[in-house]
Amino acid sequence: MVEKKTLGIMLIGAPYGTQHADHFCRIAERALDKGYNVEVFLYGDAVHAQMNNQRPKTFFPVGETLQRVIKKGAKVYSCEICSIARGYISGELKDGKKDYSSTKVIEGVQFTTIFGFAEMLKRADKVISIGGS
Amino acid sequence: MADLVLDIAHAPFGHENAYAGLFVAMAWVSVGNDALVVLRGDGVFAARRGQADSMKEINLPNTEKQVRDILGEGGKIVADAESMKARSISANDLVEGIDVVSPEQIRSLIAEKGERLISL
Repeated sequence: MVEKKTLGIMLIGAPYGTQHADHFCRIAERALDKGYNVEVFLYGDAVHAQMNNQRPKTFFPVGETLQRVIKKGAKVYSCEICSIARGYISGELKDGKKDYSSTKVIEGVQFTTIFGFAEMLKRADKVISIGGS
Repeated sequence: MADLVLDIAHAPFGHENAYAGLFVAMAWVSVGNDALVVLRGDGVFAARRGQADSMKEINLPNTEKQVRDILGEGGKIVADAESMKARSISANDLVEGIDVVSPEQIRSLIAEKGERLISL
């Protein structure tokens, strides 16, 4: 049996201000549909893509697509420190564990550190970044 | 050891990409991997030596310190000679240990090590 290959995607930059998040969503979903594993890291302002209840009227539905790619099996990681800075999670210790609970975040998004991102990069067969230079 | 190329083209402080990329490079090399950081365009400003204590002054990470830490962990950092020339930056303006290379050399390095390429 051929082992499924893993595509790693890093997104940086907020949704709606540019089309980067749209492109990221389309690429992730297309890769999943073609049978790839997909792992994603939301970095910097890209963590705004994880916000619950986005209701764009004329723009590409980033939140809705993110929910769909999670349901299709993508692992979506969000930068912990970027999410704390932007008010999505507290990250404070609660019973010996960091508190990642939030009503503001799409279900299925997982939080990780920059070292967790390094691990994700190592697992990936190919890595692309979207929203950078 | 796994390779990772960080291609940084933004200047520090006005934009988060430079120090965000350097954080990734540092995490990568600190667990025993090989990283190549390519500074091009305004990204060459990230390696200027003699930066003030930016964390104290403006609450933003000091990219000179990040660059020194990456080099100290064995990471390789190159700066694009043409970008430096256009901005009147000499090798002496940059942190020691950075290689100044041509765009053609950057192309070769990325072709050699760019299985994981992150552009910021």
